[in-house]
Amino acid sequence: MSTNISQTPSERLREVGLYAPGDAVLSVRDLNVRFNTENGVVHAVRGVDFDLLPGKTLGIVGESGSGKSVTSMAIMGLLPETADITGSVRYRGKELLGLSDKAMCKHRGSDIAMVFQDPLSSLTPVYTVGNQIIEALTVHNPIMSKQAKEARAVELLRMVGIPSPKDRLKAFPHEFSGGMRQRVMIAIAIANDPRILIADEPTTALDVTIQAQVLEVLHTAQEETGAAVVMITHDLGVVAGMADDIMVMYAGKPVEKGTVEDIYYNPRMPYTLGLLGAVPRVDTANKQSLVPIEGAPPNLALPVTGCSFAGRCPLVSDACLGGEPELLSVRVLANRPNTNGTDAKTAASHRAACIKAEELGGETDAHHIFRAPAKPVSKFDGVDRGEREKVLELKDVKKHFPLLKGALIKRRIGTVKAVDGLSFDIREGECLSIVGESGCGKTTTLLEIMEFHPDQQGEVVISGVSNKVATDSKTKMAMRKEMQMVFQDPTGALDPRFTVYEVLAEPLENLGMPKAAIKKRIMELMRLVGLQPDHVNRFPNQFSGGQRQRIGIARALAVNPKLVVLDEPVSALDVSVQAGVINLLDQLRAELGLSYLMVAHDLSVVRHISDRVAVMYLGKIVETGDVDEVFDNPRHPYTRALLSAIPVPDPNLERTRERIILQGDLPSPLDAPRGCNFATRCPVFAALPAAKQEKCLTLEPPLASEEAYGQEFACFFPDGEIDADMLVVHT
Amino acid sequence: MLKYLMKRSGIYLVMIFLTTSAGYFLAVSSLKPAVLEQEKIPRPTPEQVAASFRGLGLDPAKNAWERYVDWLGNIVTHWDWGRSPNGASVNAEFGDRVLVSTRLFIASIILTLIIGVALGVYSAARQYKFQDRVITSYSYLVHILPAPIAYFLVQLGAISVNEAVGQRIFFVTGISTPGIDPGWPAFVDLVAHYAVPTFAMTIFGWAGYQIAQRQYLLDNVNADFVRTARAKGLTRNQAIRRHALRVSFIPVAQSIAFTIPAIFTGGFFAEAIFAWPGIGLWSIQSIGLQDVNVATATLAYGSVIFAIGAILADFATTLVDPRVRVQ
Repeated sequence: MSTNISQTPSERLREVGLYAPGDAVLSVRDLNVRFNTENGVVHAVRGVDFDLLPGKTLGIVGESGSGKSVTSMAIMGLLPETADITGSVRYRGKELLGLSDKAMCKHRGSDIAMVFQDPLSSLTPVYTVGNQIIEALTVHNPIMSKQAKEARAVELLRMVGIPSPKDRLKAFPHEFSGGMRQRVMIAIAIANDPRILIADEPTTALDVTIQAQVLEVLHTAQEETGAAVVMITHDLGVVAGMADDIMVMYAGKPVEKGTVEDIYYNPRMPYTLGLLGAVPRVDTANKQSLVPIEGAPPNLALPVTGCSFAGRCPLVSDACLGGEPELLSVRVLANRPNTNGTDAKTAASHRAACIKAEELGGETDAHHIFRAPAKPVSKFDGVDRGEREKVLELKDVKKHFPLLKGALIKRRIGTVKAVDGLSFDIREGECLSIVGESGCGKTTTLLEIMEFHPDQQGEVVISGVSNKVATDSKTKMAMRKEMQMVFQDPTGALDPRFTVYEVLAEPLENLGMPKAAIKKRIMELMRLVGLQPDHVNRFPNQFSGGQRQRIGIARALAVNPKLVVLDEPVSALDVSVQAGVINLLDQLRAELGLSYLMVAHDLSVVRHISDRVAVMYLGKIVETGDVDEVFDNPRHPYTRALLSAIPVPDPNLERTRERIILQGDLPSPLDAPRGCNFATRCPVFAALPAAKQEKCLTLEPPLASEEAYGQEFACFFPDGEIDADMLVVHT
Repeated sequence: MLKYLMKRSGIYLVMIFLTTSAGYFLAVSSLKPAVLEQEKIPRPTPEQVAASFRGLGLDPAKNAWERYVDWLGNIVTHWDWGRSPNGASVNAEFGDRVLVSTRLFIASIILTLIIGVALGVYSAARQYKFQDRVITSYSYLVHILPAPIAYFLVQLGAISVNEAVGQRIFFVTGISTPGIDPGWPAFVDLVAHYAVPTFAMTIFGWAGYQIAQRQYLLDNVNADFVRTARAKGLTRNQAIRRHALRVSFIPVAQSIAFTIPAIFTGGFFAEAIFAWPGIGLWSIQSIGLQDVNVATATLAYGSVIFAIGAILADFATTLVDPRVRVQ
């Protein structure tokens, strides 16, 4: 702990944990967590302070390894016994640190409850959902009658929006989808009306439409219980609409704290500035480059000298390396504040840990500070789309999987139409993105293109070569040279026993390139993707996630393809790293005249990088066209719902935005309806009069364009009213 | 559930038929009892041997297929599993042998299971602490100790107890003392015969269960759902007991069901060392005695026990794991 003689008495008191505002439900003071690992003592949390007021929401934002989850686990007392925790965590003035597991159990689940990240593994697979909710009630209310507990469980399930809750009590977790399981988790958490609800990345593992549903449930839960919420996330959009206060964490320490407005509109710490500039926005067509934050967070097994962000900060100066800057109020930084701290809502609530906080402010442009590259211009940019060559064309591609039953003799009981009659094309220098929920057929489409076999249903034409003539390996080989793929998980996609050189040389050797030329080409590739050429002899595990994805891109580009297929290229990366990779993809497309076919679930990234977009639902394209036209003027109700579900990192906009909350999950492709397959969840359909509904249920809407709109869409009633039940506005 | 069990039983019946038939063909073509007859004094003529075997239904003149059809016909029509070369009926001896084996193993199987699983749980909850290290080290030690040596050591121990007391408390071999009075004396005699083999097989038997249960439980102790249970307000130990234990028991339940038949049919070391003439010993001896019908019958018994074990495993899994519940 740093002791500074010039500190005010209140600050010193605050540090030793004796002072806490009386009305806070949770006061955390100088929380430090250290883990003993094989690499030495890792100082994972280094001095976290915050007060949580009743009914308020605190957002803790940070990248992986920033200590945000460890902080929450330390508060809950769920860290392993080997963790060394110091400081103070007070629940309504009562110290929680140092309590025995048994004493802590009185608070866990009744006063402080938690929702975890991965709903698929967070419920015990062998007990019914009802059993697990009732257990939470039993622990804290031993005298409650069985009927009362069951009634309460039903009430809780209804509150979190699970249909026919009474029957679902007897269901097992595996009978629920991910979104439903997260609802059950929330039901368990709020079972005993906790005063504090900690949500650790509660929607990260979910689809956007489901994320919107779950966030809505969390909102309801907070309203019902009046609990204070700690929302831990890496997604600045998710907390923008929900949080009252934000704490940005970096390398185990809060680096900026303040109200949402302070943080989003007036960030003072370069890291926050960078983070905000690194996220593309789904609601604007501004095609500026993103703000890349180079480098990686410091190793917390080593003592931190100087500012922890100094290594990645473009504004770094010698003074930054002298000592770690304290988290100080920004507006009155020049002369030390003599705040007595009784009012947490003074201007002094905005604090930043940066010696240059004063120079930065609302007008500071992160793009300028972080020297974001200019938006690259491709040679195809001025050329009309019709005049460019087609690099990929799909004509009525279908992939139907038979659904079989029986152990020895299989009989067909149905068909899963994973991809059902897809047609689109990609021109030179263009990026087409396919978007949709998981299970809509995005990945199957990519696999069908990669398959490139004459027996496929439908035609795939790559650079003028059709799969119908690809009967010999030579034609296939030629196709592979034209099209390459970049995978989602860069760690899994690279052989850990190959050096980077071997990874990059393999495709070139396949083409029979001479050794000297391969070497030259590899050096060229390394520079192209922004890696140091002398790192070629390292193994993938010696690189960070972002660098590994760059290696993956270099491998794809080795054979000079025209088309690169990107399967969720940045979803496994942290926000700040993601921006660098997106910028690289942008730059490569312009410089090399590449075309991209991208699959992504993050619509903000899609909007930033793509020229055209195709929205898929249950194996079909429901809307396609120019990305700005589709995003600014969505016609299909599904596109409208999808876009409204994306949180925007802008608190004011986020709070007043209308949101279409789709009911339920993606239906199983088995029960795909006869007419329009979106009808079961359609917000427009729900509001239609019965006579018009009939049309949706019997006829399949064709994908067609309409006058005055550039895009094609498959809906009979594109301008229909949205059902009021599915529309949510928070005011 | 019943329908599912019936279906599985049907499949296993077919399998038992196939393994037994294959076993018969193998036995009939490789086991030659006539060779042993040549060692008798006075040495019988080949005609005498052939005649006596013909009478026992072991006619060496017939080919394998003909003998198989005869053998199978007798089983199907009279449930007659044939005779040994010395004329003994397989049916008559089979029941006694099965009973001896069952009596020998049943108590130690139950004890092994309970102690093994309990120690597994106990040691997992105290991972790397003193108790865990002692228990788990013992299990690994026992794993590498050959069964005959281990059993022999227990016998030596029992004998030294007898000597120390100066009275015969434990019997180290045999099933019962002949000619004992029924009632209380017979019971005391039974326990005295029973104690040593049961003790030996139990203390050297639980190692596998202990190691497996410890490992599977440790895999689950830090699972996300245990963390959820703790977040509800359960203590760490409660959360482990209520949530991790049952999940970790799923693979153990399966292994139990499969190891039990192995003990019943493969316990010839125990049967030989403790002189309990059960089915395991019989099957090994029958091969030495070139006895086709006994070898096949013990094989058939092994297949049946294995099938029961497999069905039990399915049953146990469906009982503890709702994810595999059958329609």
